[in-house]
Amino acid sequence: MRKITYLLFLVSCFSLGQNKQILYGFSEIPQALIQNPGGQVTNKWYFGIPLLSHIHFNSGSSGISVYDLFADNGVNFNTKLENAIYSMQENNFVTANQQIEIFSGGFAIGSIFDKKEYISFGVYQEFDFISYYPKDYAILAYEGNQNNVNRVFDASHANLSAELISVWHIGYNKQVNNNFSFGVRGKVYSSILNANSTNNKGSFVTRIGQNNFYNHIFNLDLELRTSGYTTSGEEDRFTANDYKKRLLLGGNLGLGFDIGFTQKIDKQWTVDASLLDIGFISHTKDVENYKIEGNYQFEGVDPLFYESPEGQTADDYWSNVEDEFEELFEVDSTKTKYTTWRPAKLNASLNYAFGKKKTEACNCLSDNDEYLNRVGLQLYAIARPKQPQMALTAYYYRRLFNGLSAKATYTVDAFSFKNVGLGVSAHLGNVNLYLMADNFLEYQNVYNAQSVSLQLGLNYIFNRK
Amino acid sequence: MIKHLFKIAFFVISMGLIGVSCTEEIDLDQVNDLEINPVLESSLFYFEAAAGDFFLGGSGAYTAGDYVVLDIFDNEFVNDNLIKAELVFETVNSINRAYQVQVDFLDNTNTLRHSFTFSADASPNNENLTFEHIEVFEDETLENLKETTTLVFRLTMLPGAPVDPNSPGSIHLKSKGVFYLNIDR
Repeated sequence: MRKITYLLFLVSCFSLGQNKQILYGFSEIPQALIQNPGGQVTNKWYFGIPLLSHIHFNSGSSGISVYDLFADNGVNFNTKLENAIYSMQENNFVTANQQIEIFSGGFAIGSIFDKKEYISFGVYQEFDFISYYPKDYAILAYEGNQNNVNRVFDASHANLSAELISVWHIGYNKQVNNNFSFGVRGKVYSSILNANSTNNKGSFVTRIGQNNFYNHIFNLDLELRTSGYTTSGEEDRFTANDYKKRLLLGGNLGLGFDIGFTQKIDKQWTVDASLLDIGFISHTKDVENYKIEGNYQFEGVDPLFYESPEGQTADDYWSNVEDEFEELFEVDSTKTKYTTWRPAKLNASLNYAFGKKKTEACNCLSDNDEYLNRVGLQLYAIARPKQPQMALTAYYYRRLFNGLSAKATYTVDAFSFKNVGLGVSAHLGNVNLYLMADNFLEYQNVYNAQSVSLQLGLNYIFNRK
Repeated sequence: MIKHLFKIAFFVISMGLIGVSCTEEIDLDQVNDLEINPVLESSLFYFEAAAGDFFLGGSGAYTAGDYVVLDIFDNEFVNDNLIKAELVFETVNSINRAYQVQVDFLDNTNTLRHSFTFSADASPNNENLTFEHIEVFEDETLENLKETTTLVFRLTMLPGAPVDPNSPGSIHLKSKGVFYLNIDR
């Protein structure tokens, strides 16, 4: 039980990106079409088993692992904390992403004998979180300013974003000819909860003063924007009812789209790419923003022993200082609506298929059967508040036999240079089952993994042929 | 059928592989050991005055006083986390008269909780003479500091060579607080 709790903690607190490198291009699985609306379609129609068709967790920490901080190894926690504080950089981050498909389905359309078009649709719920490491805040809190005279503490190190949304989508895929297909997917987002603070500016610095030991210079412009959770008013702030209502398009709404294509270069080479979640959400309901803004310099209380030319005493001056500080750190609350951009994602891959199945009858290569093996390179990028994150994957795919295929991946990203992943898809009759996970090399101690990712799902499929 | 069984077996084994990840012991309760010790420094008070700025002249003693009511010491955060404090005063005097500064700490009933004095010697040649005083607050004196709501300053120009508003030199006082915090869970 403890293990499970820890694993949940791990998944919920230390997760990274949304890279689905194993699922991408795995065309036996209908959900691969979510990763590339212009991907290859291999089924006639399908529906996802509600709530089970696609379950995805992904979490990561680009600086340290859970084990680095919480290992039960006799090392004092504060020593480990100190190591973490100084070893991490402000561009390190923790992220978590979770998706559950509520329902989904798809069907081919076109003339009875030649169905080259495909419609897919569905609803999924997504949680996405990223927080950069607020290094300067951590160091100021850890050390204080005594040994940091002239060090400019950068207020922009606080940078985080969290969203809980539902996505309603419908996609269109067309196989233009034997070599080229493309697809688009329209999306309506309904934001359930949102919080972000991605545009903080300013600094705090202690400098040697002219009149006194130090001149403390505050220059702050910080803002946290939230929607979906209000702290004012009588009613409950967020209820299960709110969740249901907003899941059903009753939240703050937004629009977006995905596009993608697949191009066969020759019989064995294929190139494909997709752009996902080009979209925005407009936050107009239940908005609460908090802002701290101002400049202030403090060198000390001046007119001691005699009144200033304006007749101000030391005590007056001090009262002023207190007021100024209060004003500086006073949190202004507004209800100004705002817009957030969804984290756009790019996928691209180059693939080489080889090795046809030998038929038993004539010991010759079967002509119709597809190639059994595929290798390729995949590129993934996602727009994030500070800078895009990228991952490069090499993979080997193998159709073990009809209805069972597997894909192994090797990924290099911000978390790891040796992330090995494995995915399996099985068709049992018309039921499709798939399961994929990565970071296998860290499985001897999962807490040492800087990222973990898991996807699984269950579909009912009616295949072509 | 055998094929199906094989598929199921393969699938179950894969799931098993994913499921049986090992873990080494971690202990999240360690977060309760969290303890940090930041040291903050802040400018406090200062003044700079020429010989003739704020007294009447002559050779007798002259005293100026001032006070500040403040709540930076007597609050919950300081009470919980401040483990030591130092008040640092630096006087630069180029007036040919010695000075003494007295600082009294009063609580909210105006009871005297702490007091100290420091002095700066006269500067016969009007050179800058620097004097430093560090008042350390620990244990009992720290508790007295944490009760303080009013600071009373008294600056005394000690008897000596006569000065008038045109006498050369100036006196410059700087001060800062050094606050040692211990923040734990």
